[in-house]
Amino acid sequence: MGSLRRFRRSAVDAAFMGFCWLVTAVALIALGFILWSLATQGIGALDLKAFTLPTAPSGSPGGLLNAIVGSVITCAIAMMIAAIVGVLAGTWLAEYGGDTLYAKLIRFLNDILLSAPSVLVGLFVYNILVAHVIGRFSAIAGSVALALIAVPIITRTTEDVLKLQPTSLRESGVALGAPHWTTIRKILWRSAGSGILTGGLLAFARISGETAPLLFTALGNQYFSVGLHQPYFFGLGQPIAALPLVIFQYAMSPYDDWQHLAWAGALIIAIAVLGTNVLARIVTRERRPS
Amino acid sequence: MTAVETSEPVTEIAETYEHYAAEVPADRVKLHVRDLDFYYGKHKALHGVTLPVVDRGVTALIGPSGCGKSTLLRAMNRIYGLYPEQRAEGEIMLDGEDILERRVDVATLRSRVGMVFQKPTPFPMSIYDNVAFGVRLYEGLSRPDMDARVEEALRKAALWDEVKDKLRQSGLGLSGGQQQRLCVARGIAVRPEILLLDEPASALDPLSTRKLEETIVELKRDYTIVIVTHNLQQATRVSDNTAFMYLGRLIEFAPTSELFSAPKTKRTADYIGGRFG
Repeated sequence: MGSLRRFRRSAVDAAFMGFCWLVTAVALIALGFILWSLATQGIGALDLKAFTLPTAPSGSPGGLLNAIVGSVITCAIAMMIAAIVGVLAGTWLAEYGGDTLYAKLIRFLNDILLSAPSVLVGLFVYNILVAHVIGRFSAIAGSVALALIAVPIITRTTEDVLKLQPTSLRESGVALGAPHWTTIRKILWRSAGSGILTGGLLAFARISGETAPLLFTALGNQYFSVGLHQPYFFGLGQPIAALPLVIFQYAMSPYDDWQHLAWAGALIIAIAVLGTNVLARIVTRERRPS
Repeated sequence: MTAVETSEPVTEIAETYEHYAAEVPADRVKLHVRDLDFYYGKHKALHGVTLPVVDRGVTALIGPSGCGKSTLLRAMNRIYGLYPEQRAEGEIMLDGEDILERRVDVATLRSRVGMVFQKPTPFPMSIYDNVAFGVRLYEGLSRPDMDARVEEALRKAALWDEVKDKLRQSGLGLSGGQQQRLCVARGIAVRPEILLLDEPASALDPLSTRKLEETIVELKRDYTIVIVTHNLQQATRVSDNTAFMYLGRLIEFAPTSELFSAPKTKRTADYIGGRFG
């Protein structure tokens, strides 16, 4: 090999590595700026009132309590729906669907749903639930919209981690006389558990910051709307507040105190998402060392 | 998702080929494979295989990679049924009943015919639950009865002394050899009649292999065992009868001592003499 050729190779290698570093740095710097402004602006606005008082008109003492509670409720209901549908759908794709035409179609549609603009999901749920079935903006409609965003993520991860399980594990269960379904429930789900849980946590991280699908479904509410004495199924059938909606509304407002609260809300979501992602990492790392 | 050897380029051998099968008295046959053809989709992997499996003995299946020995083993508990493109034609008589018939309940069949795989496959649960898993599918045993059953299975698999103090710990924490004996214990806990072993020692170190072989010899007093092995010495050490397979056909079946000392066919002689395979 000639020395010129060797020089050319190492030059190309160095140039490519340098480019990779540069691009990574640009992405990280941008992320750093976002986090920095979020932290500096948010921490100042983050006080006890944000967690203890509901939203109030500008000028009167107010916080984010109803929005935080609303977000927790809508996300929790959404995750319940999405976990059931997503895990079952992913299991079907991995264990039963195989390479049949129907399975390929489902997989394809799921991938499309995975990248569908979330505002479309919101409009879709609006048209069906808000405009017709329920007839009102409601927490339920918001949850369904969020669930539709979480389902394809969970379906995809469930299918992927189940396919990673060794064939012999599946066969061992069946060879003991366990029906395929029992083998899936008692052995494969357990073996793939941390992977499926990670998918769920990532889906939760994704939907907890979503605004667009809530605009036409949960709508938002400046009061506490859920409780034992609330009409429409403990308030779940009426509009509900959510953090992303409050941030959206407050950040666009001309009032200083509202803008501060918007920063506080954004920081709360960022911390929650960060916490979920870290948790997902820990769960994955604690996989069995085999 | 087929997990079966298809590595060798399969070339046809003539329709009429030299073969030999020793006679076995009918009343000593536990499982009788007759004229078995096996297909992976369009590919025919077994050609008219006939093999008697002797009751309470060890039958070894030997032959080069891709000869169909694992395929034959996997037909005996119909595990291939997991894969829609695989099918078997012919007869496999278990106590006079053809297990290939559609109406046979495969779950019950598999509780009578247990299987241990090449790589240890402990379930992600405690050692105790691993052994109890199969039993719980069929029998509602009381706590003391289940404890006794688990102990019995672990003792038979020669694992009890090593794990009796940590039954609640995960089966994944055991060594490879212990995991494989755990899989044997799990298989015999449901009290099957036949145990199929698919190269059970190929992933184990020599010491673990020796222990497993001793276990196999112990077990044949109570069970009928069929073992697929690449290791000819292992076949001579543990088996009573040996079947040599080549290119999807059964070439020779005879008592192990005879097959290795005085093979009746040239192909068998070549193979055990190390001239191919």
